[in-house]
Amino acid sequence: LRSLVEMCDNHSLSFLHQIISPRLKKDPFKALPPEMCYKILEFIDDPKTFVRASQVSRRWREILSDDQAWKKLCEKHAYRRMSTDSIGSSLTTSASASQILYGQHLRSASPSRIPDNMSAIDENPEGVPVSPRTTLTTSSSRRNKKAKPKSTHRSHFKQRYLVESAWRKGGQVTPKHITPDQGVVTSLHLTRKYIVVALDNAKIHVFNTKGDHQTTLQGHVMGVWAMVPWDDILVSGGCDRDVRVWNMVTGTSVHTMRGHTSTVRCLKMSNANTAISGSRDTTLRVWDLTTGLCTNVLMGHQASVRCLEIHGDLVVSGSYDTTAKIWSISTGQCLRTLQGHFSQIYAIAFDGQRIATGSLDTSVRIWNPQDGSCLAILQGHTSLVGQLQMRGNTLVTGGSDGSVRVWSLLSNQPIHRLAAHDNSVTSLQFDDARIVSGGSDGRVKIWDTNTGALIRELIQPAEAVWRVAFESERCVVMASRGRRTIMEVWDFTPPAE
Amino acid sequence: MSESQTLKLMSNDNVEIPVDRDVACRSILIKNMMDDIGEQAMTEAIPIPNVNEAVLNKVIEWCVHHKGDPPAANDDDADSRKKTTDIDEWDQKFMQVDQEMLFEIILAANYLDIKALLDVGCKTVANMIKGKSPEEIRKTFNIQNDFTPEEEDQIRRENEWAEDR
Repeated sequence: LRSLVEMCDNHSLSFLHQIISPRLKKDPFKALPPEMCYKILEFIDDPKTFVRASQVSRRWREILSDDQAWKKLCEKHAYRRMSTDSIGSSLTTSASASQILYGQHLRSASPSRIPDNMSAIDENPEGVPVSPRTTLTTSSSRRNKKAKPKSTHRSHFKQRYLVESAWRKGGQVTPKHITPDQGVVTSLHLTRKYIVVALDNAKIHVFNTKGDHQTTLQGHVMGVWAMVPWDDILVSGGCDRDVRVWNMVTGTSVHTMRGHTSTVRCLKMSNANTAISGSRDTTLRVWDLTTGLCTNVLMGHQASVRCLEIHGDLVVSGSYDTTAKIWSISTGQCLRTLQGHFSQIYAIAFDGQRIATGSLDTSVRIWNPQDGSCLAILQGHTSLVGQLQMRGNTLVTGGSDGSVRVWSLLSNQPIHRLAAHDNSVTSLQFDDARIVSGGSDGRVKIWDTNTGALIRELIQPAEAVWRVAFESERCVVMASRGRRTIMEVWDFTPPAE
Repeated sequence: MSESQTLKLMSNDNVEIPVDRDVACRSILIKNMMDDIGEQAMTEAIPIPNVNEAVLNKVIEWCVHHKGDPPAANDDDADSRKKTTDIDEWDQKFMQVDQEMLFEIILAANYLDIKALLDVGCKTVANMIKGKSPEEIRKTFNIQNDFTPEEEDQIRRENEWAEDR
């Protein structure tokens, strides 16, 4: 028979094939040993195919319910969604996404500042399933899942997948009117426990993560222009020149710290007891929050200090005098002055390795914090660069020209140019999966960080978007609609089962 | 050693198949064997106990075609992005065989440790599964649905989450 077959030409063979093939069909998951079955599944990255295959037969269900296959799928989706720096730790997807958020707001956050649930994930780089308890956030629908007996890669994948799907086209929105009158939102922070909103009408509103109002911090007499939360503490500053320390649980003022002689424009904390403020009076001040006293005045800028960023003992400040300065927090000494911009600096980012500054001269500069040299000038924006975020080797910038640009800090070249908004980009945040931008055109847009593609517009267009902030399963938008200041809290947590 | 050295492989149905040394060495198993036993391997046929003549011939055909391939980059990360789709045209044709043969090629590639061929084989099977409904998959491989209707219903509900995107 074999020789007969070998005598056949291709035509006859294919004819034969047609007749014979139905009889030669064979279940691969029975014909092959399990390792080969998993190998086959490795070439499938579509969960739909996974779940469909598990409905084929008992044998298929057995193979498909093996967590090893789901682990691979987790990894594959993580590869697709995360930049190269996180390869190999798929389970940190949500953690790293959140960490950058907290990291951004509390830039020099020490490990102890990272919420417990996240460090738990972080300490688990082997890809071992994390127990549900450790992955829970504070939202109640996830808390319900505590009842689930086991956490598997399958359930982890499902969770992440549903969150991602919700980001793409779902999500539940809770809109809140937060002022009876029109108030400009100057600052928005999203933490593990709170949503904190500062307004130019002197008020600071504290909400829980669902958007329920908790307390209003009253004491500033003019617009609040800068604030920074740390656990239950909030430090704020504004036009009245005072730096105030608040307890967000009780809603009470802890300290009123005086010293600045003009508007406080920027604030960051380097640890639970130390805040640093930058002011239009050209100085930065270091504050001890336990005593409420100013421990250092950093003098040297020739004009308003517009932005600052902390890493370790270093603080970098960007000023309207066109320079940025690197200071030692402990000694108060100015270590370097970064000169090169032709106009005011409005935004700064610093991760210990690099400093990025955005300026009214339309350029972005990358600096070496060690020697203060300018490593690159990133050009392309046609107007003020007021928004910057740096994460790994990626920098995302937003400008008054309405564009959002994604840059590689390895090549110092643009990766994506997004025509994001008709007017200024007022707010910007990104992680490995997405960029969320808000504009004075009243729109919030979500972009794919890797491809630069527009994923969706998040909100019904408003009159203006003041601020946006997000973490792995939530996004908060502060906007003006119907001449009122509104907050939209978007929740992408999958429904409880 | 010249490039055109020939050695003989012995299939499990006792057929000796001559093959160029560098072609045979696409198999890491054979390559290691050659390294271990050296020139002696040139005189006697190497038994391949798990593979029959027809499959062995197929495998050799593949090795001959891919003789000149650069060694596979061992970069799993970069691989995994592209893994799913690309099978080159020749390989696609090559894999147009009945399922029995396909699975045997996969088993042989695994046994002989020919990673690229194993990948192509598994990809081919994966592509036969992808995008299909459970019933279509059953048809493709002539599989009996051995679930009870209740089980089937429950499994469908368990898996609904992935269907809606």
